[in-house]
Amino acid sequence: MSASFLRMAFLVSLGLCALGLLWRVSAWLRVRIGPDARDIPFHQRLLAAVRGTLATLVSRRTPGVLKAFVLDVFLQRRLFGGSRLRWLGHLLIVNGFLLLLVMHALARLVTAKLYPDYASTHDPWLFLRNVFGAVVVVGIVMVVAGRLRRPPSPPRPQRPMDRVFTALVAVVLLSGFLLEATKVASPKAFYRMANEYIGSTDPEELLPLRLAWATDFGVAFPDLQGAPDPDKLAEGRELHHDACASCHSPPGSSAFVSYPISRVLAPIAEPLDGIDADTWLMYLHLAACFLGLILLPFTRFIHVLADPVSLLANGAASAGPLSPVGRANRRALAIDACVDCRLCDDRCSVAPIARSLGNPALLPSHKLLATHAVATNPRWLDRQAGHARRIAEGAVLCTTCGRCTDRCPVGIDLADLWVAGRADLARAGQPSPAQWVRERSALDWDEALAVQTAAQNPVGPLSSRRETYSACVQCQTCTNVCPVVAHGGEEPGGMDLTPQKVMNLLRLGMIDLAIGSGMVWDCATCYQCQEHCPEGIRVTDVMLELRELGYRRLGDTRERRQRE
Amino acid sequence: MKYALFLGCKIPASVPAYELSTRAVLGRLGVTLVDLPFNCCGYPVRSLDREAFVFAAARNLALAGAAGLDVLTPCKCCFGNLRHAQRFLDEDPALRQRVETALAAERLALPAGVTVEHLLPVLARKVGLAAIAAAVTAPRTGLRVVAHYGCHALRPSDVTRFDHPLAPTIFEDLVRVTGATPVEWPRRLDCCGEPVHDANPSLSDRLTQAKVDDARESGAEVLATACPYCQMRFTEFQAAGSAAPLPVLLYPQLLGQALGLAPRTLGLS
Amino acid sequence: MTQTQPKTWDVAVVGAGMAGMAASLFAAERGLSCLQIGNGGGLLFASGLLDLLAVHPVAGRRLWDNPFEALAMLRRDQPDHPLARVDDATMRAAFQSFTTALGAAGMPYAPPGDRNANVLTSLGTAKPTYGVPRTMSAGVGALAGRPPCLLLDFRGLREFSARQIVATIGDRWPGLRMARVEFPGAETTAELYAAHMAVALESGDFRERTIARVRPLLGDAHAVGFPAVLGLARSGAVHAAFEEALGVPVFEIPTMPTSVPGLRLNSALEQAVVTRGVHRMLRANVTSAAFDGTAVLTLDGVPGGETVSARTVVLATGRFTGRGLTAGQQRVTESLLGLPVQQPASRAAWHSRDFLDPAGHAVNRAGLATDDEFRPLESDGRPAWPGLFAVGSILAGQDWMREKCGAGLALGTARLAVDRIARQLGVPGPLAEAG
Ligand SMILES: Cc1cc2nc3c(=O)[nH]c(=O)nc-3n(C[C@H](O)[C@H](O)[C@H](O)COP(=O)(O)OP(=O)(O)OC[C@H]3O[C@@H](n4cnc5c(N)ncnc54)[C@H](O)[C@@H]3O)c2cc1C
Ligand code: SF4
Ligand code: SF4
Ligand code: SF4
Ligand code: SF4
Repeated sequence: MSASFLRMAFLVSLGLCALGLLWRVSAWLRVRIGPDARDIPFHQRLLAAVRGTLATLVSRRTPGVLKAFVLDVFLQRRLFGGSRLRWLGHLLIVNGFLLLLVMHALARLVTAKLYPDYASTHDPWLFLRNVFGAVVVVGIVMVVAGRLRRPPSPPRPQRPMDRVFTALVAVVLLSGFLLEATKVASPKAFYRMANEYIGSTDPEELLPLRLAWATDFGVAFPDLQGAPDPDKLAEGRELHHDACASCHSPPGSSAFVSYPISRVLAPIAEPLDGIDADTWLMYLHLAACFLGLILLPFTRFIHVLADPVSLLANGAASAGPLSPVGRANRRALAIDACVDCRLCDDRCSVAPIARSLGNPALLPSHKLLATHAVATNPRWLDRQAGHARRIAEGAVLCTTCGRCTDRCPVGIDLADLWVAGRADLARAGQPSPAQWVRERSALDWDEALAVQTAAQNPVGPLSSRRETYSACVQCQTCTNVCPVVAHGGEEPGGMDLTPQKVMNLLRLGMIDLAIGSGMVWDCATCYQCQEHCPEGIRVTDVMLELRELGYRRLGDTRERRQRE
Repeated sequence: MKYALFLGCKIPASVPAYELSTRAVLGRLGVTLVDLPFNCCGYPVRSLDREAFVFAAARNLALAGAAGLDVLTPCKCCFGNLRHAQRFLDEDPALRQRVETALAAERLALPAGVTVEHLLPVLARKVGLAAIAAAVTAPRTGLRVVAHYGCHALRPSDVTRFDHPLAPTIFEDLVRVTGATPVEWPRRLDCCGEPVHDANPSLSDRLTQAKVDDARESGAEVLATACPYCQMRFTEFQAAGSAAPLPVLLYPQLLGQALGLAPRTLGLS
Repeated sequence: MTQTQPKTWDVAVVGAGMAGMAASLFAAERGLSCLQIGNGGGLLFASGLLDLLAVHPVAGRRLWDNPFEALAMLRRDQPDHPLARVDDATMRAAFQSFTTALGAAGMPYAPPGDRNANVLTSLGTAKPTYGVPRTMSAGVGALAGRPPCLLLDFRGLREFSARQIVATIGDRWPGLRMARVEFPGAETTAELYAAHMAVALESGDFRERTIARVRPLLGDAHAVGFPAVLGLARSGAVHAAFEEALGVPVFEIPTMPTSVPGLRLNSALEQAVVTRGVHRMLRANVTSAAFDGTAVLTLDGVPGGETVSARTVVLATGRFTGRGLTAGQQRVTESLLGLPVQQPASRAAWHSRDFLDPAGHAVNRAGLATDDEFRPLESDGRPAWPGLFAVGSILAGQDWMREKCGAGLALGTARLAVDRIARQLGVPGPLAEAG
């Protein structure tokens, strides 16, 4: 492959990557999450971003922000607090990759300039490349182990691009090691180099050198079997010292990853040579690198850029509340900043509820995706056939306790996102149950239920048992002490039912009429009725149970209607 | 005296002064608090899925049980809800069985005999009014205080066993011990309006308005609460209005002042 | 409820009807440590009017103006009637402390005297009774003198119709007028509930708006009657404010149960016992009892179950609706302890053939036979346990509904029993007696 083609390919990839980045980064100013973000024009957001960044960088807070930056970006303080294993793993991956990139991929631009005698096959470079590669692999193992070790949290749907990219990274690493290993074992590579530096490809002539390389470097010459002649070997080693040693270190100890692989490959070194394996591996390695570069902006690895920005914003917010525009920017950035570490899920207050309901949509890492999707794609929720309600549960049941925010290693203000996201969900047709129930009157719901389903027996442990309400003497005490009846009547069309009437409907077996009533859903759960009932009827507990029934039954009906 | 402190979700995020002042006051009165990795008490899911609510609550009880501690919570909704979960577990063996199985998957078990307490009864009955009175160094003499009881601690009384549901005295007793004067007000046992805030904001406003008006009409200078939700409701509602707000104090802030604690340690600026 | 509990109570009161509440109240006033168990709420059905004794004998439906004369007659005619065992001084003391306690708890009563009073009911009839809440007492004079009066009702309050009252009694009360007003703020509301109006009227704003609507209607009225909605926890103050603003006596007319006065009575009694230091366990029932040196009661409704012990026990569990007595296939039994019940020989004799028989039905006089101290008797005629007392409607030989003596029965028997308990426990008598 010609060097100019390589350079071209590299530049093109780099250009595409830059364009992609620009597009992705501009999304931080384009995406609108939350009702307060809806009317802010692009230029205002850009202005706020620039101003915010400058203000944070050039202010009395600068030392603080810098400190946070160092602690959070470079040392990953929050991840450290979350999981030591994953913190270390992450550190290893990031730094291993970074060093590989600088020292190896950009060797000509960086390493060779700093060290004029740079040669990729000579120590320390050979050794270091193996070290860095191994560091990345060890890091990956640690991160995976870290994930396996903590209580299993349900898998989050991955963006397809992330899968592709993960595969590409694997290809880069694997092909890198394999390439090195094949080259080590490859007689063909030996002859090519011999031709270049010694000017000979004659096996006999090169025998001493070949013996030296077979012994010290593990080149798999098929004709050199058994113990070498010591004199010839010494001669070869001398030759090696003069011609090759300046560029090649013996891999046995330096290439501690690829050398063992090359030993494994040795028996098939010749057939590999036959198909030009090293060349293909090189193409593969480079192609994967370039493709990765192009895709990079569209993968989760955008977080490498987004995280520092997010942490900056976090630093700024800790000094005082952000402006609405600043908050809008911060929300838009969140999806890119997220590294899918799931630390938020671990400490989410409602994680046990998510487990009990079997609904991972409650977990913040899942909710982050849904919140973004709902805000950016008006049709997205509709396409989640049968799951829209479960997704909405995530918003309804979140307590906005902010524990996820505290935990997020990249400083995303998740709790703020949840509040903003609720309004977007409502706009997309999934407000809280107490709100959507109001779309119809109790009578309408009852009719809809009657049309669509046969009357169902209540399944709640209280409402299904006659003893719960059979003692009701319709004395009206519950209604008389109910603050919702007292104050609900002040609205035109006020109360549709009263607690006493709800109890009566239960007695009459007309539960479907009760579950969509304003009374049931407006109930303040103040327990005045239950406390006062002279017959000891658990009026409030029944109200809450009717809501549960209503949520299920009316929710089904509503979904069916929405689909039609 | 030692309790596992159950803060719930609202206090750390929205009413941090409640945590500060509770810790300060209990610290001064010799009550030790232990922090455990609790989760949500289950209240938000109470009206959507009873079993999930009971499980969430039970998990907290299990954590306290594993630590061998009773639970103290300053939140009346968490308090009521955890006690409700205990009731449901007691009266529904099948549910109990399912919850136990789910807990076992996390190597947790339903404890026997973990008591869930609210801050006020712990102060009034465990620490004791006399002990508090002895610790008061800066009595709030002359301050006229209405005490807001809060529904979920008081009722249903057979579940919460907080105080007499129609004629409670505990909060007034605790106000009196700070040297302040508890003021009678007809609506002291009524709902603050918070639980319907999402479902029906205008109804919620009317409920809160009635309480605040009543407190004023009764001649109060301060409205005392002992629940983050009530506290938020009264402050946020009044902040949105035009009238000068009636000051709303969390009980441990009031008590902390009487104990001579620095305002900063009580979350008072 | 903030007291620490002593290990063994002086008195355990079982039941929270009027008799149980009275027993607890009196015991606490005596300085006895008292635990009271039982669901409240039954009192919500009461009207707040306290009957002492208005009818005797039931068969002749003879109405008495002076309840103490009726009592004297009762003692002569039916010495086994529980009220026959209560002397006048005890009865007066009982009403005195009971109404004083209610007054302190926000439900003031007109001072009880020697006479029964006639109170106008929501049906337009007159009901003879003894203890009248202050908010209703002006109506007694109005009904007696029948000067020009105005009766008001509110649109939407279905349980009370001034028109109905005027229709019933108007021809005998020519100056009686009625008017209907809109309740302020409820102009668009179809249905009103008495308690909500009562609470609203505790706010000065609602009160003034209501008064402004009533004032133009006054005319020549010497007094104004309202449905019983003038305040809940502060009825005394609300009533006074109406009188002051309107310049004429104002009286409430009790509405059909469950009524605002029922809610007031219920809360006021609970508050009265609690502020006097009674340890009150609501929503709990006694399921069994064992008697030895002390009584040990087992409770349900308490997490994990619980037992309590007491030196004496007051059984105030009422009759059939109160669950103190159970009507079986053949026999009436006492529900908690299986005490012998004095009753007709067979089920056939429970009810008179005529459902409306003025003499009532024999089963309504079934109950526990006791000695003069209200200690229930075993079949051998000896007290079941020296420290066990029974009070209120569970007692045999009375028909409180027809005799119109419900409160008299509850308060009188409770007072006497508590006096005896105090004596048994060696506690000095109340100040009134001592002085
Ligand atoms: C509908 C109604 C109308 C009334 N109207 C009038 C009136 O006009 N004038 C008047 O003077 N009085 C009136 N009263 C009150 C009347 O005085 C009393 O109801 C009557 O004397 C009977 O009272 P009691 O306390 O003996 O029994 P109840 O009122 O029957 O009370 C019995 C109590 O015992 C409790 N109990 C039973 N078993 C147990 C157990 N095992 N453990 C714990 N608790 C138990 C019950 O829950 C109940 O609280 C009225 C009452 C009612 C219910
Ligand atoms: S704010 Fe919501 S998502 Fe975040 S931890 Fe709390 S409950 Fe979970
Ligand atoms: S939101 Fe933050 S804590 Fe949650 S997965 Fe993403 S990076 Fe991790
Ligand atoms: S208070 Fe109880 S008995 Fe009376 S109507 Fe309500 S539920 Fe029925
Ligand atoms: S719990 Fe609900 S129904 Fe009952 S009194 Fe309160 S608001 Fe009314």
